[in-house]
Amino acid sequence: MHRTLQSAVPVMPGPLSDVRVVEACGPIGHYAGRLLADLGADVIKVEPPAGDPARRYAPFLPGVEAPENGLQFILLNANKRGVVLDLERAQERAVFLRLVASADVLLDSWEPHESARIGVTEEALLAARPDLIRTSVTGWGLSGPYADWAYADIVAQAMSGVMTLAGFPDGPPEQIADHQGHRTASINATAGTVAALLHRDATGEGQRVEVSAQEALSMAQETAMMFADINGTNRERTGGTGGLAVRIPGVGLYQTNDGWVYTLAAGTAGSGFQGVLATMDVLGYECDLRDEPWAGFIAESMNRSLLLQAMADPAEAAALAAKLEHIGATVADFFLRYSKRELYEVGQAQRLLIGMVSAPPDISVSPQLNARDWFVEIHDPGRGRLLRYPGPPWQLHGTPATLRRPAPLLGEHTAEVLAEIGVGAGEASAPTPHGSPR
Amino acid sequence: MTTNGSAPGQANGAARRALDGVKVLDLTWFGAGPIGTRSIANLGARVIRVETQRRPDGLRIAPPRPAGNASLNVGGYFNNFNAEKQSITIDLTTDRGHELGLELVRWADVFMTNMTARAVRQIGMTWDAVHAANPAIVALYQPMQGMTGPHAEYAGFGAVLSAVCGVNALSGFERNPPIGVGTNYPDYVVNPMHAVIALLAALRHRRRTGEGQLIDMSQLESSVAALSGPVFAWDNARVDYRREGNRVPYAAPHGAFRCADTPARPDRWLVLACLDDAQWEHCARACARPEWSSDPRFATLAERKRHEDALETLIAAWAAEQDGAEALARLQAAGVPAGLVLNASEVLADEHLRARGYFVYLDHAEAGRRAYDGSGFRLSKTPVELRRAAPLIGEHTWEIATEVLGLSGDEIGMLIAEQVLY
Repeated sequence: MHRTLQSAVPVMPGPLSDVRVVEACGPIGHYAGRLLADLGADVIKVEPPAGDPARRYAPFLPGVEAPENGLQFILLNANKRGVVLDLERAQERAVFLRLVASADVLLDSWEPHESARIGVTEEALLAARPDLIRTSVTGWGLSGPYADWAYADIVAQAMSGVMTLAGFPDGPPEQIADHQGHRTASINATAGTVAALLHRDATGEGQRVEVSAQEALSMAQETAMMFADINGTNRERTGGTGGLAVRIPGVGLYQTNDGWVYTLAAGTAGSGFQGVLATMDVLGYECDLRDEPWAGFIAESMNRSLLLQAMADPAEAAALAAKLEHIGATVADFFLRYSKRELYEVGQAQRLLIGMVSAPPDISVSPQLNARDWFVEIHDPGRGRLLRYPGPPWQLHGTPATLRRPAPLLGEHTAEVLAEIGVGAGEASAPTPHGSPR
Repeated sequence: MTTNGSAPGQANGAARRALDGVKVLDLTWFGAGPIGTRSIANLGARVIRVETQRRPDGLRIAPPRPAGNASLNVGGYFNNFNAEKQSITIDLTTDRGHELGLELVRWADVFMTNMTARAVRQIGMTWDAVHAANPAIVALYQPMQGMTGPHAEYAGFGAVLSAVCGVNALSGFERNPPIGVGTNYPDYVVNPMHAVIALLAALRHRRRTGEGQLIDMSQLESSVAALSGPVFAWDNARVDYRREGNRVPYAAPHGAFRCADTPARPDRWLVLACLDDAQWEHCARACARPEWSSDPRFATLAERKRHEDALETLIAAWAAEQDGAEALARLQAAGVPAGLVLNASEVLADEHLRARGYFVYLDHAEAGRRAYDGSGFRLSKTPVELRRAAPLIGEHTWEIATEVLGLSGDEIGMLIAEQVLY
């Protein structure tokens, strides 16, 4: 991503730099607008006078007043311009439709009953812009018995079948962090929108793009849906054991002297369990696994599928369990003596499939991410800060993603944008940042 | 033929699709790659997947599969992610096989692989080789950590990536080890569908300018981008992230609560979320606990967050006496975001997903009639459809070898005997 705000490097146009998007979305669609903007689109975010609800979501940027301090809002709304319009008022709905008339894409998160209530109907939108691409991102989609149900991120995680797979058998099912219902809905909405743009480029025809968060997450059930369909069985949460009664040494989560690593040292990929031994050698860890009987056993049998086969036989399983216990205890002792980063970097150099369990501070200093200049710093004058942003999901060498402007202050671009469509600023409501959000 | 994302009666394989005419060479395997090229196929592109019997996709071997059936063609893991593609078997590590691979590169508009850098070198499909063969190609490489940098050669499956990108450290409860979320989460939507966005955007640029390009997609960068909130908060406000299970900072109550067991469905969990004070009032009313909304400990979001343990204890005690489905219906009728933690059988049977036709049932020569995930997005005029089940390994070798590669029957026979088309 180019550091366009502080670098003199000429900016290549993004693949969507001719596209204008009007975003009238709750948090479910913020990431979609952000992705389209990163690809070059001019994204105009329409907020109610009290501001988007995510402006008030913790955690906050210290030293900055509400409603400009919500970090989630600042993150996912960078690269957009911000306009305040009160769509509850007929006059401002008319301005909104003029704005839509100037746009290629409307990204909204209105459930069917909500569109009807505020009177922004499909007919009105198409009258304003006949070739409009209208992307609807909602929890449940626009049809079906739950179309008007209330939605929150955790609800999509539950109803998509994803949440039942996470957690421990004796605890609750667990959500995946950082709003993966919103995120996957937004990612799918972006893909659908660009596909619709390709069709419009070719034919001049707009269309409706529709995303349901419940559906957007479904593929993340991994194999669970196929197990149910083919074998009639349901995968459930296993606490990270994958449902195996016996732990296979070198597979799964291990404690280090400062945290955790995850390894897959018993498959066909990478260097397998030999990679664990090689990592021990490089780090100078001494143990008896290079000696008999262990060395022979490891060479012949330390393969996940072979072990699983052998353990299916109860007689063999008992003898195996004793061997695996010694090997497993040795591996656990080894990992416990070193740091997660050295195990990760030395292990990967031995082609061991190993990853360090990285928390935000680890990710922030990742040598790999930083070597690739992935994080981008931009100055946010409205908030008086230099902000460090995570980069985009891809590096498009011909048409790079760019971070061009910070997240808008509430109503920051109302006058500017309305002037562009020939409307006086007096036609829009003033922001009421201290009013209560709807 | 079955449609997804269009009104019944529409399409049925006849409608125009957004990527009709686009040609894709698919050198992906496992999860993160194939799901992306499947989406491109369902948009109408012709996707040719090159496989080899010598080293088949691990998902062709993995469960679930019908009991006792060892065929490479019946695994649900592979088949769901590869609907509508064509499969040719070529051993790209042979000289002649590599030439044929480059011939497919010249044929293609789009190239994608998620193999490691090492595997890409082994099959001779580096960016330099691909670009030299077809300068106008859009090529997406999706190694775990990108094509440059000190960790460019690092390898792993989604479970390793989940640890490195933050899924494990951010999810679950602080009291438990960071086990992750029970799946290789980034493989299934985040990484493949981020890739689809990049491919579509690059195709748009190509149609307008004739220029192809390289897309260097690090699965790590893509995954952190989708989990960017906590790292952004750390970098800019030194917010020390605490794993709080099913809580979020801006809503309360927000969690999963166990309902009464029934013989048909033990382990029934209800999720609910109150994002504002009005939803909390509606929740108290729907639960027939009016005293909750008059309790000063719960009067505002800030108060509810301060007393969240007590709040959750009350709701858990209420939930334990409820039938899950009835509780859900009452909460939703009151406008409270709520749902049940469904298992996969329940997802397949969910009346809403069924009414919307999300899952698609396709006939497969060996696997029979099986469920496939539909598309995560729908297009009203150029429907996203699954027109065919997944290919058998090498099912289209003859068709592609004759039509695309221009080989004669004799040549094909020889190449099969030499285990080049293999």
